[in-house]
Amino acid sequence: MSLRIVLASLLAIATAFAGAAAIPPGTVLSPRQEMVRNNGAEPESLDPAHTETVNATEIGRDLFEGLTSTDHQGNVVAGVAESWKQVDATTWVFRLRRNAVWSNGQPVTADDFLYGWRRYLDPKTASLSATIYAIYFVNGMDIVAGRKPLADLGAKALDPYTLEVKTPGPVPFLPGVMAAAQLAPQPRATIEKFGKDWTRPGNIVGNGAYVLKDWQVNSKVIVEKNPRYWDAANVQLTRVTFLCVEDSSADLKLYQSGEEDFMETLPPGAYAALKAQYPNEMRNDLLLGIRVYSLNNKDPLLKDVRVRKALSMVIDREVLAGRITADGQVPLYGLAVKGLAGAQPTRYDWADWPMDKRVAEARRLLAEAGVKPGTHLKFVYNNSDYHRKMAIFAASEWKTKLGLETDIDSLEFKVLIRKRHDGDFQIARNGWVFNVNDATILLNLAECDSDFNDDHSCNRAADALIAQAKLLDDPARREALLSQAARMMAEDYPMIPLLQYTAPRLVKPWVGGYGDSGGTDRYRSKDFYILKH
Amino acid sequence: MWAYVVRRLLVTIPTVLAVVTICYLLLHVTPGGPFDSERKVSEAVLANLQAKYHLDLPLWKQYLLYLNDLLHGDLGASFRYADWSVNDLVARALPVSLVIGGTAMAIAVVLGVGLGILAALRQNSAVDVAVMLLGNIGSVLPSFVLGPVLVLVFAIALPWLPSGGWDDFAPRYMILPIALLTLINMSTIGRIMRGSLIEVLSSNFIRTARAKGLPMRLVVMRHALRPALLPVVSVVGPLAIASITSAIVTESWFSIPGLGKLIVNGASDRDYTLVLGLVVLVTVLAVLLNLIVDLAYAWLDPKIRY
Repeated sequence: MSLRIVLASLLAIATAFAGAAAIPPGTVLSPRQEMVRNNGAEPESLDPAHTETVNATEIGRDLFEGLTSTDHQGNVVAGVAESWKQVDATTWVFRLRRNAVWSNGQPVTADDFLYGWRRYLDPKTASLSATIYAIYFVNGMDIVAGRKPLADLGAKALDPYTLEVKTPGPVPFLPGVMAAAQLAPQPRATIEKFGKDWTRPGNIVGNGAYVLKDWQVNSKVIVEKNPRYWDAANVQLTRVTFLCVEDSSADLKLYQSGEEDFMETLPPGAYAALKAQYPNEMRNDLLLGIRVYSLNNKDPLLKDVRVRKALSMVIDREVLAGRITADGQVPLYGLAVKGLAGAQPTRYDWADWPMDKRVAEARRLLAEAGVKPGTHLKFVYNNSDYHRKMAIFAASEWKTKLGLETDIDSLEFKVLIRKRHDGDFQIARNGWVFNVNDATILLNLAECDSDFNDDHSCNRAADALIAQAKLLDDPARREALLSQAARMMAEDYPMIPLLQYTAPRLVKPWVGGYGDSGGTDRYRSKDFYILKH
Repeated sequence: MWAYVVRRLLVTIPTVLAVVTICYLLLHVTPGGPFDSERKVSEAVLANLQAKYHLDLPLWKQYLLYLNDLLHGDLGASFRYADWSVNDLVARALPVSLVIGGTAMAIAVVLGVGLGILAALRQNSAVDVAVMLLGNIGSVLPSFVLGPVLVLVFAIALPWLPSGGWDDFAPRYMILPIALLTLINMSTIGRIMRGSLIEVLSSNFIRTARAKGLPMRLVVMRHALRPALLPVVSVVGPLAIASITSAIVTESWFSIPGLGKLIVNGASDRDYTLVLGLVVLVTVLAVLLNLIVDLAYAWLDPKIRY
């Protein structure tokens, strides 16, 4: 084992001992530790194997705990595993704590993880998100495709409290991956006894800090503190209600009338007024996410990189962020964003040019490419006021600065995503938020043939660098290669980066423990507490 | 009459079948599928999902499988909500919609008819103007304007009631949504009742009744009310269906877990089985309510006999 791996392992073990969020000394807690939080859309499932959206994973991570977890600052912390180490480039060993038990008192063992992972990847389970995490296990993708049996999964129990995971290539961020709601252990006896109904209140058995108390579909999910949870002594909230309110105006109204402590998101256009009204309650942390316009790189007009570059250059991100969306998002001039692990942020050289110079250069590029003023662009977005405002702004930038006409079409969401996937568009609204902080995840957006690549772009040289970087276990060299790949991809202008997402929301001043979530916008209830008020 | 009722109920079967078939085809030709998500679903996963939900079979086979399940009272598995069947989802949402929509409808009928009579009897008086004003406001202002006004007044300015939410039929959460639906339905019913009663009161048989020397109260109660109710009854059926199944604005504004929200989410999620299940339910409800309306006609109008 190289010294580097030993150091990395020691570091991992050290972080593993950081427990739940510490409450600052002198904090006076309220005797009533209950919180109501709007969680947006109804969770599609509370079964780790069928969890896909943020709405479901937020509740799922309270009910189930994986080998690791992430705290309110986005740090990877110990979960059921009390320590872990990287044995070689592609092998990890996780040691499970002996005091982790299910809510029915049974111990949580390595077999519970193996059962859960296999059930999640089983073609018969048909989990929509299976391939997202299958890629981290040897044979994972073959199992999802039904080409290999479940027993071939690259994970085994060395003893009831030791798990070995084999990855197809080096995955330096594997401990962070293990925090995913989908990779939690699953209670085999309960699932086999109740079938589809196993996640109902009364049936469900979990190993998280909370147990399911009530589930009123399309209304709320209520969880209560699990007294058997190994870290129960550090869990403050005794009851958390997750509301399922999708309408952001209704969300705001519930907040204002005191029915909830924690909003999901703000109504469009309300940020400035609400910030002035509730200066101490407005939170707006930067997310690991990019708001972009997808460009169809196979379109006859847009296959010319000069056209793509010209369209990108003339959009004034400062005006877009400051006046159009006006909700605290950050102008974006590249692919690798601030806060991203594993690559340096990218920034186009023209980002600091005066706008006149940018426009002149863009016009020159269009002229070179033979695109005449008056040419029509086709733009599609999914119907919402927010996206419409942005689209009108972009169209006016292209019209006034380049003389291009834009035909804007509003579509229903499912129709838009189908068109994006099928390449049946020219310019389309798009955006991504990442829950695993690593450059390879973000760069996957522009890799050839990637499931995430809506631009239908391809840069084999950049892909080769990423593939090479993925085999390295030297963090510095890995970062250098990935940064280079990010720059190469950005210079191809596969898409138009516009803004880095933030998470604007109102949170009552008595909610303690709210952190920046490391840009993931994922929160565990065990990190929150209610201050005396 | 019973033969008529049985005949009408039997007609429900081809009606439901026709509606299901049309809806089935429409859903499948609508662009975008149930498993389209932001990230393109890999082919292996798509194949697994299609096998699980029988979407890999020819359409006619899927359709027959669906009909077979439907005959056995099984509305199928939801494509979106893995932990619930469509039967589960409907069983949870229907009572909510029935209680909210039904209560609002009952109150609206009583108040609307009452106010309509009052206005008609005191035509052009201050009472009439007030009733008509209320009726017009209720009809003109859409629920997405009236709803926020109710919340502003009764939940935020006067913090008497919750501004939204739901807690297992706790009455305090039901008052505002019921009030909103009542206001809207009551205005329509009140205006129709007023107009209809005024018309009936000017007809010949009423003049005859009054000429016989009957007191006005008896003229109205015994002779005018029944025929005047006919137009009201014809709108009550569609209004009731709308209150129960498509109160989507009310439901989303007050965050009520009823059928309207399921229908809209089901359609945008392309949750085929959920949408079909709800369509079947709405069709059956519509047929039943129309039957009740038709039976009410026979009771109200001596000229109609089944």
